Amino acid sequence: MKFEKRRASSKQEIPTASMPDIVFMLLLFFMVTTTLREVDVLVDFKLPEAKAIEKIENKRLVSYVWVGNNGRIQVNDSIVLLQDVQNIMYRKRQELPNVIVSMRVDKNQEMGLITDIQQELRKAYCLRLNYSTNIKI
Amino acid sequence: MIKKRKIKEASIPTASMADIAFLLLLFFLVATVIDVDTGIGLALPEPIEETDIVPVSKDRMAALLVNENGDVLLDGNPISIFQIKNQLKPRIISKIELPGNKKLIVSVKTDRKTNYNLYIQTLDQVKLSYFETRDEYSNANFGRKYNDLTEEDQKKVQDKIPIIISLAEPESIKK
Repeated sequence: MKFEKRRASSKQEIPTASMPDIVFMLLLFFMVTTTLREVDVLVDFKLPEAKAIEKIENKRLVSYVWVGNNGRIQVNDSIVLLQDVQNIMYRKRQELPNVIVSMRVDKNQEMGLITDIQQELRKAYCLRLNYSTNIKI
Repeated sequence: MIKKRKIKEASIPTASMADIAFLLLLFFLVATVIDVDTGIGLALPEPIEETDIVPVSKDRMAALLVNENGDVLLDGNPISIFQIKNQLKPRIISKIELPGNKKLIVSVKTDRKTNYNLYIQTLDQVKLSYFETRDEYSNANFGRKYNDLTEEDQKKVQDKIPIIISLAEPESIKK
């Protein structure tokens, strides 16, 4: 028995002319959604986990305070001392009157330091607070 | 007469366009951080020099105390962290229909040496009990979960079940 290869007489090709367009569309999507990381985090921290968490609706209002596992505090781009927190945050509040302070604190930190920072924030009238946590599943 | 010269078709090679676009795409894919900021929201009290003590009836207060060893006291009775929700929920529910100045106040107090993670777990339980109560209330009255309600209805639920958490300053370490 003889097998015959059957071939369609028409050309078999996937049109690739529109490929760049598709890729550019994807590219555009990622370019628009990308927020390049603005600050280098200088402290080492692991966030705690919680279930009852909310999203921060307005990212523009957020200002971060990091507290590492060695008790160092970072605001903006640099490590700061506890007594400087008030001044820095007060200036921030003048720029953004309803700033939300997001506390990114290492989970093994002690509450004493957190309370001290909170007292400084109170003095600076930064009263909206958010304890940054990961989702517990 | 000028002889018409035959012009060769000039074209830019576009074969590599896809490759270039893919490279760019790859860069943005790698550089993208889609991180959503999630956390437990709270409002700090305003700084006041002199605190005048306002008497609050014991019935209204739920005092949580977390000490440095991780023991939790709710109104003086030791409980485990995971029980907080079940203890608080009935108390919140019982106060739904009461006027605003009689709602439950949850006070969270820690020691200076208390672990931050424990504090977050405690707050989480408190928040959970509030959220679940809100969800149940909205389900019963509006037929939807709290997050799916319109803003107006959410306000109504918020009025009925306000989240009042008071952060007490920790006691200094006992000598």
